[in-house]
Amino acid sequence: MNILDTLRISASGMNAQRVRMQTISSNIANARSTSSHEGEAYRRKMPIFKSIASDPFGNAVDKSLARVEVVDIEKSEAPFRQVFDPSHPDADDDGYVSYPNVDLLYEMVDMMTTSRTYEANTNAVETTYKMANLALEIAK
Amino acid sequence: MKHLIFDRLHYGLSNVLELRQKQHSLTIANIANADTPHYKAKYLRFDTLLEDAVGNAGEMRRTHTKHVSGLHGTTQDPVVSVLDPAPWVLDGNSVSLEREMVRLKENALMFRSVTKGISKRMSLLRYAASDGKG
Repeated sequence: MNILDTLRISASGMNAQRVRMQTISSNIANARSTSSHEGEAYRRKMPIFKSIASDPFGNAVDKSLARVEVVDIEKSEAPFRQVFDPSHPDADDDGYVSYPNVDLLYEMVDMMTTSRTYEANTNAVETTYKMANLALEIAK
Repeated sequence: MKHLIFDRLHYGLSNVLELRQKQHSLTIANIANADTPHYKAKYLRFDTLLEDAVGNAGEMRRTHTKHVSGLHGTTQDPVVSVLDPAPWVLDGNSVSLEREMVRLKENALMFRSVTKGISKRMSLLRYAASDGKG
């Protein structure tokens, strides 16, 4: 694994955080969508991260290097928020409307950690780049 | 024959450079996996590895002039330490972003100082090789 290959690991980290940011945007945008193409109210989406060994046949260090991948986007099975509003077109027979199981508070906190982790990855890319440059300057 | 130009320090420095690069890629992987459940932070233990890299620990003493000298240490397969998550961590991930960022910057600084060291040695050699005119 050479120093520039590690850039790919950072890229996988940034990609994973970008997908997470997309699901958060989708959750926030649909915080009040009472119907969807799935036939019920919108369900909160969550990306599932998995670490995958980058070089399973290398030496001890190479073997323990892992990139991150989004293997699936799961729907939250938490119950919907029930609001009594018989005049709403999506109300059920008892007059209750199911609102999405999205909690804006959770989404905001998730958004903060996502952007912080993304930032850490961009910082790591910058440092990798600087180190590669330094190595090139040895012979100068 | 004593190695005057490419001595133990020279090989030691390049070994340390290689170790720093390996530590860098481990830190990068830790940062990328900062939110992956059950991922454990990995790092190298420099306090023990540096001894091997410079070759202090296992320096061979020659009892015969025709023996091969034990010139440089090894960094081929360093032991990777794994950090277990604290018991109160819910997702089993032991990466602390703050610690990793500090390790990233510290490591880059050490990398920089080693490259500077090698450059200085090279420029001294160049100066000597050009009869003090370079």
